Amino acid sequence: MSYESLVEFLKDEAQIAALSFMAVIYALKIWGIMKKNPIQDRTPNHGNPKEGVRYSFTVIAMPWEMQVYRDHPMKYIEFTIFHLAIAAAIASTFIIPYWPDVMLKSWIMLPSLLFIAAGFLCGLLRLIARLTSPAMRAFSVPDDYFSIILLNVYLISAMIAIPNSAATATDPMIWSIVLFFGLTAFFLIYVPFSKISHYLLWPFNRYYLGKHFGKRGVYPKNSAGLRAADL
Amino acid sequence: MQTAEQCQKLYETLEKKINRNFALSASVCVHCGMCADSCHYYVATKDPKMSPAYKADKIRSLYKYRHDWLSRIAPFWTGARTLKTPEELEDLHDICWGSCTMCRRCTINCPMGVDMALLIRSGRAMLLAADSIPEGVKAVCKDQYEIGNQMGITRQDYLETIEWLSEEHANDVGDPRAEIPLDKKGANVMYVVNPREVKYAPLTLLAAAKIMYAAGESWTMPSEGWDNTNFGLFAGDDKLGGLMGQRLFEKAQELGVNKVVVSECGHGYRATRWEAPNWAKMDLHFPVESFLVTMSNYLREGRITLDPSRNKTRVTYHDPCNLGRSAGITEEPRALLKRCVADFVEMHPNRADNWCCSGGGGAMSMPEYNKRRLEAAIVKADQISATGAKIVATACHNCIDALEDLIRRYKLNMKTATVGELVAEALIWPKAAEEEEIFAIDGIEPVKLAPGEKRKKILVIDDEADVRTYLTTLFEDFGYETIEAADANQGMRMVKEYHPDLITLDIIMPKKTGIKFYWELRKEEKLTDIPVIIVTGFGEPEFPNVNFKKFITERKVPSPEGYVEKPIHRAELLKKVHDVLYV
Repeated sequence: MSYESLVEFLKDEAQIAALSFMAVIYALKIWGIMKKNPIQDRTPNHGNPKEGVRYSFTVIAMPWEMQVYRDHPMKYIEFTIFHLAIAAAIASTFIIPYWPDVMLKSWIMLPSLLFIAAGFLCGLLRLIARLTSPAMRAFSVPDDYFSIILLNVYLISAMIAIPNSAATATDPMIWSIVLFFGLTAFFLIYVPFSKISHYLLWPFNRYYLGKHFGKRGVYPKNSAGLRAADL
Repeated sequence: MQTAEQCQKLYETLEKKINRNFALSASVCVHCGMCADSCHYYVATKDPKMSPAYKADKIRSLYKYRHDWLSRIAPFWTGARTLKTPEELEDLHDICWGSCTMCRRCTINCPMGVDMALLIRSGRAMLLAADSIPEGVKAVCKDQYEIGNQMGITRQDYLETIEWLSEEHANDVGDPRAEIPLDKKGANVMYVVNPREVKYAPLTLLAAAKIMYAAGESWTMPSEGWDNTNFGLFAGDDKLGGLMGQRLFEKAQELGVNKVVVSECGHGYRATRWEAPNWAKMDLHFPVESFLVTMSNYLREGRITLDPSRNKTRVTYHDPCNLGRSAGITEEPRALLKRCVADFVEMHPNRADNWCCSGGGGAMSMPEYNKRRLEAAIVKADQISATGAKIVATACHNCIDALEDLIRRYKLNMKTATVGELVAEALIWPKAAEEEEIFAIDGIEPVKLAPGEKRKKILVIDDEADVRTYLTTLFEDFGYETIEAADANQGMRMVKEYHPDLITLDIIMPKKTGIKFYWELRKEEKLTDIPVIIVTGFGEPEFPNVNFKKFITERKVPSPEGYVEKPIHRAELLKKVHDVLYV
């Protein structure tokens, strides 16, 4: 296989195969969970389950509603930038092969690079926190360290690959494309088994939690008692 | 029990406890650590082993070892494990029983929404199966199983206490007829209490009796199934949880009450209102209400009046976790306190964000963990002392005990009180009915009401406006409250909305006859007991040959309580009404 066809293979067939694999594993994972019985609640509603579900999904965008983010606003900023940067990197794996011209526009490329770089810094802070905080170390497992390192490496690879997205097989920077798409394919295969799959389970868990707290009138949370100092 | 056998039982229970919610909570945690700062154990001690993620992982890792693909191949990679040694079992015991009050504060602060209390309760259920349970919790569960209440109060002691309290109550309100009724059939409310009220805190029960007396409530306490607490919740024992609920619900059904009111007990309310019907697999035909809601309804409906100047000391309110964070009851106590105390101040954070009293989850029954519990209680101590209040009001006996413990430990110059106690203190007694001018009619004495007793409500259903005006005026003059409906359909709506004490019913009406209304009423389970007096002409001109009395009384439904013919004889009707309502 030539270098050029390897790049094309990584950009296209490998991604589709890895994505399909991920989809199958995810489907099995969700099936495994959904075949278990949910908690049955026979009692009449006190609140509104639908409102509870809505609140449960949107509370993540309302840092003032959660004490831990009220107390540590920088943690929320870090969390947001990190996750959005990963989303941007993932988006570029679709944009580069299928709409290559888009990424070459400087008004898209530069902000994207800056955003992903900020995400990398946030990822680095998260890694440092995991390594230095005794509380974090106490419950961290190899998958936690590996996942955060992997994501940081992934963000770096995206930063290098995006400006070189038009590189040809003879271009010395073509390795960055190979690395980025190689990592993406690895990601798609590894992620369903690791803790990174939380983004798949998150909507399900938030749905059931929201329904539960909504029924009981706990969600949407009444924040009438919050002082300005709390916010 | 040998460790191997214990582990086997533990795993068998784990498999039974896995439902969709458990599986999600066990799978979705990303170890972000945001939960740590929401846990009073961690905040107070900074011990890494006290962070919720660490504690929940002790259960999560057991699940992963058996159910997560990657963990089954490479357990070290995900922290999955299996229990083998007595030390590991002891470690799990310490985490599940001694380092979490299942307050769910971490849950509402978790970006992923992990229900740590669900995991911890499941862990406790597993340990219970393995007979690894603190002696204190075991003893309480045993008392609930065998005697029916968590403090082992015998039936005789309970009945004697209620009798004594009933006398105290009569003295308290200055009415010899006032009582704490026992097993009164058809009462509106069945009031169930925490055994602590019977054994150690009778003032709380007396305060509740006083409030219901002032509101003119028709209530009763049951002789069985009176314990609203439920250690099935804390011990992870669904069987006990269901049994406690079943006893209470069956008694309510037997007495035919309209609703069950749970006294001020956080977990008691949560267990009775939300969890026990699920554990007992019972669909309830009556509502379960917190006494906070009952009191705030009395206030809203004008059934009680409060004078805040009777409670001059500064008061703050502690939201019990099981009410604020697991049952959504946060505004009712505030509505009450703002009306019954002169100086109410919020603690911060509050409502669903409030810090746990440190005594939840059965912690007060586990003296072996007292040192750790009180160390963690400093968070609560700092929070309440910052308010400058001299009284911490709360609506949970467990919280009262825990707060008193921490007040002593941290030498805070404060007292505790239930919301009901403060409300009772602020009660303004309504004018007694006998002070109002109601005269005898046709030799029939008007109704004499006890202080605070509510007038009986009569619904008059008649299509003729003149008849309605005549009857309602007559009844009101005689000391009753009245409502009226011009046809049977409107009458049925009003019955459902106002639940009158008696209905006077005309037979011939447009749209729907009184006969049809009567049959429908008797078929409705919740309405069938409302007494009905038929008020109609024996031979209506349009139906000269129909014997209405025979027609209505010979159906396969209970006969009406009275039958009065038009033209109405006032004395006859008033006597009939009085006999139906009071004799």
